[in-house]
Amino acid sequence: MNVETFKYDNRIVRAFGIATVVWGIVGMLVGLIAAVELFLPGASLNLQYITFGRIRPLHTNAVIFAFVGNGMFMGIYYSLQRLCKARMFSDFLSWFNFWGWQLIIVSAALTLPLGYTTSKEYAELEWPIKIAITIVWVAFAVNFFGTLVKRREKHMYVAIWFYISTVIAIAVLHITNSMTMPAGLFKSYSMYAGVQDALVQWWYGHNAVAFFLTTPYLGLMYYFLPKAAGRPVFSYRLSIIHFWALVFLYIWAGPHHLLYTALPDWAQSLGMVFSLMLIAPSWGGMLNGLLTLRGAWDKVRQDPVLKFMVAAVTAYGMATLEGPLMSIKSVNGLTHYTDWTIAHAHGGALGWNGFLTFSMLYFLFPRLYNTKLWSTKLANYHFWIGTLGIVFYLIPIYVAGVTEGLMWKQFNKDGFLQYPNFLESIVQVVPMFQLRAIGGTLYFVGALLMAYNLYRTAKAGKFEPDTEAQAPALEKAEAAHGKLAFHRLLEGKPLFFTVLAAVALLVGGAVELFPLFLIKENVPTIVSVHPYTPLEVLGRDIYIREGCLGCHSQMIRPFRSETERYGEYSKAGEYVYDHPFLWGSERKGPDLAREGGKYPDAWHFNHMDYPGNVSPGSIMPRYPWLLTQKLDVQSIEDRLNALRRVGVPYTADRIAGARAELAAQAAKVVANLKQGSVNSEPDKEIIALIAYLQRLGTDIKTAPVATAAK
Amino acid sequence: MEEKIICGITGVGIYGVISISMFFIFFTGMLVWALLQKKSYLNKMGAMPLDSGESADKFTETSQR
Repeated sequence: MNVETFKYDNRIVRAFGIATVVWGIVGMLVGLIAAVELFLPGASLNLQYITFGRIRPLHTNAVIFAFVGNGMFMGIYYSLQRLCKARMFSDFLSWFNFWGWQLIIVSAALTLPLGYTTSKEYAELEWPIKIAITIVWVAFAVNFFGTLVKRREKHMYVAIWFYISTVIAIAVLHITNSMTMPAGLFKSYSMYAGVQDALVQWWYGHNAVAFFLTTPYLGLMYYFLPKAAGRPVFSYRLSIIHFWALVFLYIWAGPHHLLYTALPDWAQSLGMVFSLMLIAPSWGGMLNGLLTLRGAWDKVRQDPVLKFMVAAVTAYGMATLEGPLMSIKSVNGLTHYTDWTIAHAHGGALGWNGFLTFSMLYFLFPRLYNTKLWSTKLANYHFWIGTLGIVFYLIPIYVAGVTEGLMWKQFNKDGFLQYPNFLESIVQVVPMFQLRAIGGTLYFVGALLMAYNLYRTAKAGKFEPDTEAQAPALEKAEAAHGKLAFHRLLEGKPLFFTVLAAVALLVGGAVELFPLFLIKENVPTIVSVHPYTPLEVLGRDIYIREGCLGCHSQMIRPFRSETERYGEYSKAGEYVYDHPFLWGSERKGPDLAREGGKYPDAWHFNHMDYPGNVSPGSIMPRYPWLLTQKLDVQSIEDRLNALRRVGVPYTADRIAGARAELAAQAAKVVANLKQGSVNSEPDKEIIALIAYLQRLGTDIKTAPVATAAK
Repeated sequence: MEEKIICGITGVGIYGVISISMFFIFFTGMLVWALLQKKSYLNKMGAMPLDSGESADKFTETSQR
């Protein structure tokens, strides 16, 4: 037998490991700052770069793509080489992947605080960075599939299946959701509008959770859990069913983020049904993981790696039960827009992704440095402080979520809203925000302990840049194998397998997205809805820049509690010129879909300057820079032209006269402000923002609603 | 509204049948496939992470610190 000797690349694994720890700490710290700002709005020191609206996307991006992303690469680069009995296809591509990814993270850390954002959740980065992500991901894919091609192991273990689905799905999701029209180097407008944009975004958002936070980590679970436990997975058969059912069902569930919105009803029902079906494969996978430890529970008592894994898999089970339950429309009516969503997301992120990442780091560092973990005791402390951190985080924030949901819906015996002032619900939950920050701090301290432990482990051992291994070449192994059954052919041929997995993945996306784009009646038009004026476009872009949608939705659901509070419920036809849509997913402040005309211009001016003066007890941060910064009028033609290219009916004449139109409207706002004893110059950013806020929802206030259907 | 759109499609009645058949065939096929796997193959596949890379025992001893 022709046995070949080769070396596994440990350097790349170590690099991703270190990046995981560093970015994990950064991401958690930013989250902690954001958490503190929620009960102490002054904590941002009135610096625009670290206000809640701007650092919230920084936190989510850092944790998802920097912490979990690097953790995912670390685990895949380690396990793929060993499962394929081959070094990575190309060292150059490995390092291109590593440095490219770090560069993207750094550019995100710079651009998001500066306010360069598309506003689409988990896809906030502007178009040049989106292109960079595509290039780096393609490099990773080439390296990944190249390794599969040159592998020395005939069969592909189930973990590799999960990795394959990740590579394909993320590419498709990222490209579809990133279709934007640039209007300058750091500004772009989504190709899609309103309801369509919302569906594409949440098809992406949901499946980013599925194929960035779930499938790669399930693959890692199937590799590292048996390895740490020293016994094979409970049922390989179950893992096959787990894989196919999960990739087939997951992609359909996206619309559950848009229940009771203006999204067509059929799409909502589809999302709900598939979400419920997802319980089966998710729990199959969780049980498969936990049952792998049958007869090895004594090891769990000793080994921190296994402790973290057991807690992670349990958290996966809880989050994947809770998610489908939250997708039931009646449950979602209570949970949506409340902190319950935040609790759900953090149960998954802190428990499943965080703990599985920690377990991999504790597993890998001693092996990379050929030594024992510096302190098992410290790792155990980390486990308990992290677990307590999760508990202290989740309980208050669940309480906050339920409190908000109930208070928003409560009517008194005379049939009026019990709490007509939205602020009452927020004041009520501020203590919960404070408790949550304590939980977050505990979790953060745990991560610091881990960083120290890993550092000492590295110091104590000697790094092995390469691990030598031997295996027979693949051709020989194949000849010895004899005839191939269908399934072996299937998992033995990466290309064929990839095509099948891609088909399973794409069916759901196609069924959901195509009708909404192809059948006009899905978005009934309203004759009185017109495009935004040039000044309002600039105001809307400031709204996007400041991340207002992090706390304010623009989507009134058809509940009496909402129409009483905010006005007429939102219609799909109202958003046909919204590139991007700004429905939001969370309310820390009231919905703004019908904000226009509710308050005088001067109220908005004073409110943006000092929200606490206008609404005592408000947790909204101050925006004093809007009062002094000059409006970027120079770019208005570029912006309008970009919007025109994506389908907003601005004529060439209107764009040519945009500056005059803008100046005229700004003068009106200034005159209105004067009436409220406020003096402002017309070229300030606040003027545009006021114009935009006063426009919101007024299109159908002025004329009777005329829909195309029914 | 939805009924109007859906009913406007010629031969829409067959869509439901096609959908349910797709799901039924996919899941039945997958289950049958999984159940038909030979025990020896499953055992071999399940053991793959264990015979790849460094042996576990050397690193899992707990340190006394």
